[in-house]
Amino acid sequence: MGKYRIKAYFDEAYPPVPEKSTLFWRKFVPWQLIRFIILNVKMIRIVVGGHS
Amino acid sequence: MAKVVVLGAGVSGHTCASFLKKKLGKHHEVVVVTPNSYYQWIPSNIWVGVGQMSIDEVRFELKKVYDRWGIVFKQARALEIHPEGDASTGKGYVTIEYTAGDNSGVRENVEYDYLVNATGPKLNFEATEGLGPDKNSYSVCTYSHAAHAWEHLQENIKKMQAGQKQRFLIGTGHAMATCQGAAFEYILNIAHEISKRGLSKMAQITWISNEYEVGDFGMGGAFIKRGGYITPTKVFTESILAEYGINWIRRAGVYKVEDGKAYYETLDGEDKVQEFDFAMLIPSFSGVGMTAFDREGNDITDTLFAPNKFMKVDADYAQKPFEEWSADDWPSTYQNPTYNNIYAVGIAFAPPHAISKPMTSVTGRPIFPTPPRTGMPSGVMGKITALNIAERIHGATEHRHKASMSRMGAACIVSGGFGSFDGLGASMTVFPVVPDWDKYPEWGRDMKYSVGEAGLAGHWLKVLLHYLFFHKAKGYPFWWLIPE
Ligand SMILES: Cc1cc2nc3c(=O)[nH]c(=O)nc-3n(C[C@H](O)[C@H](O)[C@H](O)COP(=O)(O)OP(=O)(O)OC[C@H]3O[C@@H](n4cnc5c(N)ncnc54)[C@H](O)[C@@H]3O)c2cc1C
Repeated sequence: MGKYRIKAYFDEAYPPVPEKSTLFWRKFVPWQLIRFIILNVKMIRIVVGGHS
Repeated sequence: MAKVVVLGAGVSGHTCASFLKKKLGKHHEVVVVTPNSYYQWIPSNIWVGVGQMSIDEVRFELKKVYDRWGIVFKQARALEIHPEGDASTGKGYVTIEYTAGDNSGVRENVEYDYLVNATGPKLNFEATEGLGPDKNSYSVCTYSHAAHAWEHLQENIKKMQAGQKQRFLIGTGHAMATCQGAAFEYILNIAHEISKRGLSKMAQITWISNEYEVGDFGMGGAFIKRGGYITPTKVFTESILAEYGINWIRRAGVYKVEDGKAYYETLDGEDKVQEFDFAMLIPSFSGVGMTAFDREGNDITDTLFAPNKFMKVDADYAQKPFEEWSADDWPSTYQNPTYNNIYAVGIAFAPPHAISKPMTSVTGRPIFPTPPRTGMPSGVMGKITALNIAERIHGATEHRHKASMSRMGAACIVSGGFGSFDGLGASMTVFPVVPDWDKYPEWGRDMKYSVGEAGLAGHWLKVLLHYLFFHKAKGYPFWWLIPE
């Protein structure tokens, strides 16, 4: 990780790779706690909304 | 007193049996027939496969739970269904064969008023020459396969520590295999374990898949909102693979595996070989292969089951071009059309068609993933079927509870590493699993609930789900409040 393949003309060269700040937010606990709550709410709504 | 027999004690069968007993109480009998003495929480096998969990952390003994609930437990494999009975009985029955204890190998006919087939998939390693844990590749589809994979993975790690480069090949081992999510999770965990040990430079990690584009996952991919754009899961998934230093091969139908070599054909018809030192390749799935007979003893397997051995239910199985498939083709009550007291839930039911666009190589080999059969819909199907059967037993004539994969979402939470603060989860939720282009003409799915993101939150969610589902499956206090 952190060692990206950037040689052009290979599939691996075209997807977006995360910047330092993206990596930071992914592991920043207070922000992830908020995402955790949001993900939980979405999942519960998916489950409950999916059957009658 | 009515008797309901549930075949299989996986996600769907166990959920179904638990709700049946809760609704029917002591006045009716619930019987579970399953060949293994343990319940296993399959998603956590990934962690067994990288040595982060032991086998006993992902399984528990069923008998103890069923004794407490008052469910009759038969450790046996179902072989034949006789929906009309035979010359001696007019009642439907299942022929089972015990798999453990003194009566191992003994056959018995178990009569039923209602039958639920929740037997999941047969891991069809034989469909690919040389594939499987007894041959040339590993699997994480059961806890023992995963433990076996970890045993051998450690040898590769030791070799890298000794300065020997190793090639890892993870993905699908058949041109029409599904379950890409599980393989994707495993490859990320392997990459994490290798990087944690500072061995990334010694490893070449490759993803191989029958998907047209990476991120298809057998559901024709999906769109998610991300960074101010609507982005296909192709971009999301490739981005994660690139970040982990993993390269990929797509549109590949693996047809033969030898020691250290995987042979595959591409959609373009090219024949290629990928060499490896460690391979975990998911097999194709089929139904478990039960047969069926009418009252006179004639074979009616084709009436109950589709050619892939999955059971027919209330789906539209008419053959149609891809463009004409619709969300309404998917079943919602899981009742067999011929015998209305038989149901099939979870992976055991026959899907009406693929969700990913069927593709064939120039030589005529179909190369595309079959529909994913994820845990959340499997649990929901088990529950609604239990509720419908309980209500029928209490006199209802209609199915009040419905759940279709074209009205149900799925959450695919992929952990990458196990640490609470350095682990990573790639969370994807899609709603519905089967795109509904009439209801959501723009993207096929509801963009509010189709999410893809990476971060610790997903990892925590995966760990939370592990403990929540064990709590529920073991029937601990208020288990029924935990959603499927
Ligand atoms: C490695 C891996 C990871 C996964 N991760 C996720 C995830 O993160 N999220 C998710 O949603 N889904 C995940 N899945 C998919 C999920 O595990 C399945 O959707 C789910 O287990 C299907 O439930 P089921 O009850 O249909 O089948 P199973 O859980 O396979 O249960 C089938 C049951 O039938 C029994 N049986 C077999 N043959 C017979 C017979 N002849 N007679 C009687 N009983 C029989 C089996 O012993 C078993 O008890 C994963 C799958 C794998 C392989």
